[in-house]
Amino acid sequence: MNLKIWHKMIIGISIPSLVVIIGGLLTLYYLNNVKTRHGFVEIADDLRERVLEIRRNEKNFLLHKTTEYYKYFKSSISILQRSASNIPEAIIDQVGKSEFLLLRNSIQNYQDLLNNLLENYLHEERQVEKVREEGRHLESFVAKKNHAVELSTDFVLNLRRFEKNYMLFRDKASFDELNKGLAQFDNIIPFCIECIRYANAINELLNVHTDQTRLEGSLQIIGNKLEEITNTISIRERENVRSFFSVTQHRLLIVLVLLCVMGPLFVYKTATHIVKPIKRLAEITKRISEGDLSLRAPLKEHDETFQLSQSFNTMLDKLQFTQQSLERSLELLHEKHVEAEKRASLGFLVSGVAHELNNPLNNISLTAETMKEDLDTMTREEQKEYIQDILTQSERAKHIIEELLDFVGTRKSTAMEKLDIINVLGESIHLVSNQLKVTNIKLKLDVPQYPFFIKGNQSKIEEIFVNIMVNAIHAMKDSGTLTICARPGSGQRNIFIDISDTGCGIEEKEIRNIFEPFYTTKPVGEGTGLGLSVAYSLVSKHNGDISVKSKVGKGTTFSIRFPAYDESSVPEISNT
Amino acid sequence: MVVDDEPIVGKRLKRLLEREGYAVETFTRGSQALEGLGRNRYDVIITDIMMGNVDGMMILEYVKSNYPDIPVIIITGYGKKEIAEEAYRKGVHSFIIKPFRIDELKAVVKEALSGADKD
Ligand SMILES: Nc1ncnc2c1ncn2[C@@H]1O[C@H](COP(=O)(O)OP(=O)(O)OP(=O)(O)O)[C@@H](O)[C@H]1O
Ligand SMILES: [Mg+2]
Repeated sequence: MNLKIWHKMIIGISIPSLVVIIGGLLTLYYLNNVKTRHGFVEIADDLRERVLEIRRNEKNFLLHKTTEYYKYFKSSISILQRSASNIPEAIIDQVGKSEFLLLRNSIQNYQDLLNNLLENYLHEERQVEKVREEGRHLESFVAKKNHAVELSTDFVLNLRRFEKNYMLFRDKASFDELNKGLAQFDNIIPFCIECIRYANAINELLNVHTDQTRLEGSLQIIGNKLEEITNTISIRERENVRSFFSVTQHRLLIVLVLLCVMGPLFVYKTATHIVKPIKRLAEITKRISEGDLSLRAPLKEHDETFQLSQSFNTMLDKLQFTQQSLERSLELLHEKHVEAEKRASLGFLVSGVAHELNNPLNNISLTAETMKEDLDTMTREEQKEYIQDILTQSERAKHIIEELLDFVGTRKSTAMEKLDIINVLGESIHLVSNQLKVTNIKLKLDVPQYPFFIKGNQSKIEEIFVNIMVNAIHAMKDSGTLTICARPGSGQRNIFIDISDTGCGIEEKEIRNIFEPFYTTKPVGEGTGLGLSVAYSLVSKHNGDISVKSKVGKGTTFSIRFPAYDESSVPEISNT
Repeated sequence: MVVDDEPIVGKRLKRLLEREGYAVETFTRGSQALEGLGRNRYDVIITDIMMGNVDGMMILEYVKSNYPDIPVIIITGYGKKEIAEEAYRKGVHSFIIKPFRIDELKAVVKEALSGADKD
């Protein structure tokens, strides 16, 4: 993945947050739905309530058949009708269009039936009146006796009793009795007008009654149907809400579980993704710090650690290169060191002491040549003087050679011995005296008149002083003052030697370089840049230290400290 | 004029060169030699290099800038190649390394004087 760490962090944080937000929105949506569904339940319950009210009124009306009950009944139906038509179309669509259509139709049917029934009742009332009237007619007709004998008063009275019974009970037995009685009319007097009218009136009433039973039955059926419809709606809505609750519960539970499982998983994944490259880098760094410079940080992820790894690798490259060149320099230094020591002694001798030999030789040869040419004209005194000159100059040459041999002799020893440092300092000054002679440099000496002993190697210490003094002479070119000052420290535990010049000085930023091997400001061939580095290592080998103070244009002071000779400490010096 | 901090050189050269008929004046210090240059006219100057304050190189420079016609001969025991080159660059007539044969010096002086005469 080529993602930056902060990208990973954003992803790691935003995905669980997104899940939470989605869960929250879902919950909100469900709750809203639940609210609406609950509204449906209320509506359904309301409808059912109204239908039950209607059914109660229906029962009362059918029982009492009075206008008062009719009014109640009627008004409860219109209330239901209003509630049913007040329900918004949207809800109807949601709950079930067909059911509402059915409900509305049923209400309409119900109302129509009720109207028919009312009419039937009125008709019945009228017909009952008519039957009674025809009955009375028949009775009075029978009482006049102007008809066949078969139609007795008893028969009519009996018939009226049947009629009354039927009106009262309206059951099958009384109906059959009445019908049987009426059927006898035809046998008794076929063309009795009163009889026919009475029978017709009763038949009409019977018809009304049949209608009535049918209407009442239909009304009850439709009433039942209304009840059923509202019941189903109500039950279904309740069921809906319940299932809705359980579904919502389920979904919320799933979201919660997802969140619980995915959240930590995501955080963990993100964290490992972020930490992995850093950890890898840390691992590599550790291994590198343990010494394996050839290792490199892998450049796998393209995030912030990529640049880090890159810089790190570049740094390592440089480090490795530096280390290698340092090792090479060290080898070179080792070689040069040996060479430099040779140079410091032999080179010095050649340029200084050896040339010095030419002067007495020249004097001898000149004197000899003069004598050769003028021997005859020379006085005895002159001859003696010339021979003396030759002897003196030979002596001088001999002395120079002795000095040379002396020097070469001391060079051979690397042993550490008890030395008078003041004496060694004097010897060193003597070694550079030739160089001083050819310049205008004044020498100022401020050293104790008594010896101060240190443990060391004479030639090495001479090398230290000579190197520093030669540098000072070079720095001053032709004129200036070379000041050499030695003084013991408190308690005679150390000796401090300052070698100061009034030369060009060293720039502040160069001071830390001058002890580096091969650092030189002198032209190629004149300086190797090893003088001070050799001096530094030699001073360290003598358990001393060396420091430098300088001002450009004013001069430079090298301060060297050597510890005093101490029987108990025996510093070793390597034989290079 | 002979300048050398070794008195023996001055003494012997004076004697040897006077025998040849030259007038010779000797100095052991460079500064005195420079003073002498202001007093007298010299035909040739023979000088050592390594001498205290005022060395042969300085004398050479002084002569070449003030009296460019006077030939300068250097005699020195410090016969380093670099120094010889420097001297020739500064206009030295001859550069002779100690120890030298007197005949060698005589020849060089003769040559220097004849060269000066021609100018
Ligand atoms: N007394 C001094 N005054 C001014 N600069 C100095 C002095 N001593 C040392 N230095 C500076 O430090 C440099 C290093 O000195 P160092 O003696 O190590 O090498 P070097 O003199 O250049 O060569 P070498 O001594 O090998 O011939 C010199 O080149 C010079 O620039
Ligand atoms: Mg040096």
